[in-house]
Amino acid sequence: MRYLLGRVQRLLIVLLVVTFSTFLLVSVLPGDVAYQIGGMDASEAEIAEIREELGLNQPVVLRYLEWLTRLAQGDWGRSLLTGESVWSMIIERVPISLELMLLAQVMALAIAVPAGILSAWRPNGWADRFITSLGFACVSMPGFMTAILLIYFFSLHLGWLPATGYEPLSAGLWANLKPMILPALSLALVEWTVLMRTLRAEMITTLQENYISLARAKGMSTTRVLLAHALRPSSFSLVTILGLQVARLLGGAIILEQIYGIPGIGRLLIHAVYTRDLIVIQGCVTFFALTYVIVNFLVDLAYAWLDPRVREARAHG
Amino acid sequence: MHDRPPVLEVLDLRTAFPTARGMLQAVDGVSFRLEQGRTLAIVGESGSGKSVLSRSILGLLPRNAETGPEGRVVLNGNDLTRLPERSMRKLRGRQAAIVFQDPMTSLNPTMTIGSQIVEVLIFHMGMTKATARCRAIELLATVGMPQPATRVDQYPHQLSGGMRQRVAIAIAIACEPSLLIADEPTTALDVTVQAEILDLLQRQVRERQMSMILITHDMGIVAARADEVAVMYAGRIVERAPVRDLFHQTRMPYTSALLASIPQIDGGRRGRLEAIGGRPPDLVDPPSGCSFRPRCRFASDKCDMTAPPLAGTGQHHFACWHPL
Amino acid sequence: MVDLASLRPVEGRASAAPSDRHARAIAEHRRSRGLGVVFWLSASWLTLVIVVAAFAPLLGLVAPDESDWMALKAPIGSENHILGTDPLGRDVLSRVIYGARVSLTVGFTAPAIGVGIGLVLGLAAGYYRGWVDEIIGIAIDSWLAIPGLVILLLFSVLYGGSLFMVCLSLGLLFIPSAARITRAATLTCTGREYVIAARALGASDLRIITREVFPNIIWPLLAFVMIDIPIAIVVEGSLSFLGLSVQAPTPSWGGMISEGREYLEASPHLSLVPTAVMFLTVLSFNLAGDAMRKRVSGGRSGAI
Repeated sequence: MRYLLGRVQRLLIVLLVVTFSTFLLVSVLPGDVAYQIGGMDASEAEIAEIREELGLNQPVVLRYLEWLTRLAQGDWGRSLLTGESVWSMIIERVPISLELMLLAQVMALAIAVPAGILSAWRPNGWADRFITSLGFACVSMPGFMTAILLIYFFSLHLGWLPATGYEPLSAGLWANLKPMILPALSLALVEWTVLMRTLRAEMITTLQENYISLARAKGMSTTRVLLAHALRPSSFSLVTILGLQVARLLGGAIILEQIYGIPGIGRLLIHAVYTRDLIVIQGCVTFFALTYVIVNFLVDLAYAWLDPRVREARAHG
Repeated sequence: MHDRPPVLEVLDLRTAFPTARGMLQAVDGVSFRLEQGRTLAIVGESGSGKSVLSRSILGLLPRNAETGPEGRVVLNGNDLTRLPERSMRKLRGRQAAIVFQDPMTSLNPTMTIGSQIVEVLIFHMGMTKATARCRAIELLATVGMPQPATRVDQYPHQLSGGMRQRVAIAIAIACEPSLLIADEPTTALDVTVQAEILDLLQRQVRERQMSMILITHDMGIVAARADEVAVMYAGRIVERAPVRDLFHQTRMPYTSALLASIPQIDGGRRGRLEAIGGRPPDLVDPPSGCSFRPRCRFASDKCDMTAPPLAGTGQHHFACWHPL
Repeated sequence: MVDLASLRPVEGRASAAPSDRHARAIAEHRRSRGLGVVFWLSASWLTLVIVVAAFAPLLGLVAPDESDWMALKAPIGSENHILGTDPLGRDVLSRVIYGARVSLTVGFTAPAIGVGIGLVLGLAAGYYRGWVDEIIGIAIDSWLAIPGLVILLLFSVLYGGSLFMVCLSLGLLFIPSAARITRAATLTCTGREYVIAARALGASDLRIITREVFPNIIWPLLAFVMIDIPIAIVVEGSLSFLGLSVQAPTPSWGGMISEGREYLEASPHLSLVPTAVMFLTVLSFNLAGDAMRKRVSGGRSGAI
């Protein structure tokens, strides 16, 4: 319990540091927000009025605290461009990005887990060599590159899947999934290698454990030894990486949403970057940091589920 | 002499591992036979090849290990070295089971002890899950586990070392194998529970008419618990005899050094083989002739030239040019 | 009892077979320690790319921003344009070669900046421990809480996309990993006898760090730079794909891939040529780095 509390404390500090830094970055900007709202031809008086209205004349720390309070109340500010509430803009797009990332993560795991097990079973065997080489090729291809190739083959050549677009779930499950397959696959093809290598490395260590020898001495088949005996004790790093990858996945999703025209949070951010909509950018960054912190907390919880020893230690500690 | 059929017959078994410096010959031509209901103790220092021998018998070697083509392991009439892996799996745990040295690492930390027993029963005995579970609780009771019905759902980390070794024994005897290999079953345990575990093993072996290979480095536990003793040195058996003969008419200087390291009744010191001067030989680049020569007080030029064969009269065999 | 063991020829060990196997095992080991064909192939490709990019102005190429209005969207293998032209009639080969300059500059500079700063932070954290360690740890965690691309987007909004800014902001992304590695290496090495001895002799902190600690951590760190280079190239590619890296008309691989996207159906080479070149370059850096790491760590691979 104390361990978990320590983690929460650390994560909260991280959250404060991140939000304060982005706040600072946005407030000490070369082009002041007031000028953006007022426009290039605004008079000095108008600017001063806007500054007063936005509270830009107060000290940074005070403004930060005020901003934080409003943040906690769900007031994430309004877009400089459309005047729309940033919170509702984000929350509207989150499910779409989440769907993409979950789908990608599921695909990545579906490739990585069997590949990792097969690799670890006979390190340096032909399967391992093949999988490792494939992994090298995949990490050497950034998501946007994979996306271009997938679009080229599956959309333009074969015409199986749409190249861009998004359909809400209300249009039906398949209609919704169909345009998501290529983006998720583009993301998964980059991410699976890290997962596979992590699992492979830990599994190779596990397979040298005495309890694996004993399982073999009991006459258990290779499949059973690998899946029932070795997989679970080999998954700890995999779970950690899954958590750490969320940040990477978010980064990757940004570009893919742009390429495939998926109206998710990444597209929102890029649009805000192109139009220099600072309040939206700030909101997105805060949201990303929040996601990161929550996911890391979940990873800590997952440990406890995976390893009965940790479960015990935490229940007593 | 051959009044009973052998359960296990090992002929000229050799196992080597590739290393950076060359092949390490861990087991170098070991032969012995074991009859039903008998216990053979294999004694030697760490690194003498006794654990590799036990794993070689069950075909549990790492993939890079090389076994000699002329070696034979015949268990209940089946030559295990000729058996395909599939049939080998059906034998392991069913006809021959093993108890490893360290119960802290030989049980899977992420599975309940019950499920680790149950899977053997399902695989080898074709039991249903429910019957296997009942049988597992019975087995836990047999090996002296208190409250077996609750313990069955616990994880290894919730048990003490001695209790875990009892679980390992329960797994080993689950299918009533004809051969039980106990690879230093008490080395990792507290002195106080060592005798209990050895008594348990001995009782189970006797009740079920099993044959046992008891691997140990401790001559002290051999006397009361084995019928025969084989002393291993540098991957070979250097002296083999019924327990009484070995203790009363020791022939090989190495065996005598081992016996000298048994703790005296008055001094509470635990006998360790390190008491012998010098180190075991380098198995990648072994000395010429008798491998014990560099540490032997009686070594002569002859020992330097040729290795002595394992020979002798009756049941007492030894490999030495200058027996005591 | 017949003892089969006693029938075994005594001089078995003196026969030729074991020494044969001995030699084979050693040879096997030597072979696995070599760098291998893959490494040399990768190294050759990298050398080619680096040399061509460095001497691009001397190669007598068409300027990358010069339009040949007589040949718009020319396919691969056209006269005067081996790799074709883009919709503005600019030579794809020339643009790929000049684009390599951007990718390689970023690829080498950004990790150098990141490792430089990370080294200082990691040394401070690992050497002084306590609150210094704590503060640096929180700073690094916070840095990691935001996706790298988002940080870069933020920087590009605030400071615009010049080659210098791209290198700098990308370099900042490499600080956390470099700092963590340095810290871990410093921790192990400050516990060693020779550092304790130097301290006991009254050596100053600066002297201990530069003389005793630094030489021990520089190698793991350099191995790490080898992983960072391809990552930097990939991230720069993503940025320029979004049009947020170096601005047109300077060609960059990511930019070319992005521009060619619209013509994927009719002129796929516009995207696929820079894709292939970038893929081969990143792959070569990855493979060469892995081969070197394997050699240093004695045959273990798989580090991320």
